[in-house]
Amino acid sequence: MKIHVEKNKVEERVNEYIKVVRSIDNRSEVVLKDDTLFITVSREKLRDLAKVIYWDMDCFHRTCVGVDERSLNGYFALYHIFGDDRYGLNVVVKVYGDSKEPVFPSIVDIVPAADWCEMEARDLLGFKFLGRKEYRLILPPSWPNNVYPLRKDYPYNQRPKIIATSEKLSGGSETGVAVPIGPYHPALHEPEYFELFVEGERVVDVRYRGFHVHRGIEKLGETRMTYQQVNFLAERICGICGFEHSVCYSQAVEKAAGIHVPERAKFIRSIVLELERIHSHLLWIGVACHLLGYDTGFMHTWRIREHIMIATEMLTGSRKTYGINLIGGVRRDINEEKKQRVLDILKIVEREFTELVETITSVPQIKMRLKGTGVLPKEDARKLSVVGPVARASGIDRDIRRDLPYAAYSYASFNVPVYDDGDNLSRFLVRVDEIYESISITRQLLDQIPKGPIMAEEIEIPEYRIGVSVVEAPRGEDVHFVITGHGKPYRWRVRAPTYNNIPALKVMLKDAPLADAPLTIASIDPCFSCTDRVVVIDVNSGVKNKINLNVYGLEGCYYGF
Amino acid sequence: MDFKRTRIKRLGFVKALSIAGRVGRVTRKYPFEEPLVTPDFRGKIEISEDKCIGCGACVNACPPNALEKISYGKGLYAIKYFIGRCIYCWRCIDVCPVNAITGSREFELATNDLGDLYELVVHDMVKCSICGEYFISTGQRNYVLARSPLTEKYVNIDPNCRKDMFLQNILKRFGGGHD
Repeated sequence: MKIHVEKNKVEERVNEYIKVVRSIDNRSEVVLKDDTLFITVSREKLRDLAKVIYWDMDCFHRTCVGVDERSLNGYFALYHIFGDDRYGLNVVVKVYGDSKEPVFPSIVDIVPAADWCEMEARDLLGFKFLGRKEYRLILPPSWPNNVYPLRKDYPYNQRPKIIATSEKLSGGSETGVAVPIGPYHPALHEPEYFELFVEGERVVDVRYRGFHVHRGIEKLGETRMTYQQVNFLAERICGICGFEHSVCYSQAVEKAAGIHVPERAKFIRSIVLELERIHSHLLWIGVACHLLGYDTGFMHTWRIREHIMIATEMLTGSRKTYGINLIGGVRRDINEEKKQRVLDILKIVEREFTELVETITSVPQIKMRLKGTGVLPKEDARKLSVVGPVARASGIDRDIRRDLPYAAYSYASFNVPVYDDGDNLSRFLVRVDEIYESISITRQLLDQIPKGPIMAEEIEIPEYRIGVSVVEAPRGEDVHFVITGHGKPYRWRVRAPTYNNIPALKVMLKDAPLADAPLTIASIDPCFSCTDRVVVIDVNSGVKNKINLNVYGLEGCYYGF
Repeated sequence: MDFKRTRIKRLGFVKALSIAGRVGRVTRKYPFEEPLVTPDFRGKIEISEDKCIGCGACVNACPPNALEKISYGKGLYAIKYFIGRCIYCWRCIDVCPVNAITGSREFELATNDLGDLYELVVHDMVKCSICGEYFISTGQRNYVLARSPLTEKYVNIDPNCRKDMFLQNILKRFGGGHD
């Protein structure tokens, strides 16, 4: 079922926004560009407007972006990006902050989803948020207090003097026992740290500390690299769904600069994106089977996935980090022979996957472990603006491919699977259904692919234009926000889907048995990897027991290279 | 397609045995057999010393700075390729104006000797006939000479001296020129 929003309905909606914004702040500016509505309001009115947009207009919160615009207009600026998915609109609300002391009203009590991005702006740009508890989210505890790395006057290659201290996390609560999940190990790929407080076998509270591997990619893209080079950097944000990031970045620049990408390039992008979704979901299903102790399922899903890896290598030149995307188009064409081979591979994958899923779901233990565990109710999902399969498994019908069609998705017809239970089984089934949809989309697009060039002829990128692009990655929506600059982005903000989904784990894990925790954590398909170790700590006697939980299967294999 | 939940079929999971029997062994005997890379695989690049003119287009395009332009003593510079940084994107191949770079399917590049990971293409430079400073590689000068009607005398002058010369000429024409 495809929803086509009529054009006059969108116009009506935009007029509604204009009316609402004017009634709140009559000095505000509203500009519509493509599918993005830019609103500038005064600081005092931000909270009122956020409330209206998030709750009354029923928008999602995508992220917020802090920008150091002092060299452009003498102010700091904060952009809140909302998504009006039903009408295919991005709503960007901008407020200015003082150049000496950037203080902004916090909207976290109205929009709980804005928690992390506000703290990120606080850490990296030194913004103050009034009316909320502030804490350090991104930077390590030993980072000096008044050094803000994303400000423009901070050189990218400068290292502040750091006296290393350790962060005390495993304190335990008064009531129970603290179970820290997660490695603090420098050699592992993406460490994350959960602290589960348990009473007996039940989890009563969860604490999360992440961002141990914040790599400063945004700063690198803003200072050191050129427009076309950032495509390859963006692709390396994620080891599994990198192409989504690369497409999202180039689309943001293309939108800002008004570059027309040839149709054929758009089709190729969509085809590769869908193949990447198939391999990512197959990977996840394999890992889920492994976590449930069903290694037969794990081995066979990954065997089927190998066909897709070979297909992408043939189409792009690489199994992962395809490197075929540039601003203005793609670098590799699909010829008849390759098209036929992809179709053949899809046939094999569809047949074998159908057979395998039937087998997996008929293992009684698998279904028992999946059903009713890690429940995320719809209200919480809405409050936290969760994305992707996690949202769709909790009854929220949102998919960027259908709602804000990009690349060539408007040429394909597909279903968006939605389940209402919000448990691990629903998240499993959403991904199973999506694999079938992706196979169907790839076939439709390969069938319709038009002739023509694959690269735009002229690429001119004017300075200081804003582009917001959203792409549906296997884990949910990627958001890239770009302000163009001289030869490179002036500001480039990336929001990966796991950023919005991790806060939901707190809801899912609460009051659940400890034994279900690894699967539930994995059920959002988080983008951190490798072996997770669990240390069960008794508050009184210190370390009690060490269990190798092996959340991500074989060491180092989660990347799938 | 309908999204009816798959029903548990009793003993359906035994089917895994028949799948395993049909598929058989999929693990390859690599490295004792040919690696499984398709003909389209992107591997290590090769820079042809004869063709390279040292313009540095690849250096500007290279996303991870695997290609660098380094000074190599008086009147010489080099294009340095460090395999350790290379991400095999082949952007250098796209941008090279003289097709000096070719791609290969080679990817087994681990080595005990760090020196194996560096490749240098050294270029000698042309001296400016006026100020005597080195300013361009001989390859680049020959490339320009072959394609544009510039005289040999003009092409041996570095951009700064050329600018001065141009200004002097204008001043002479409009009558204000003196040293």
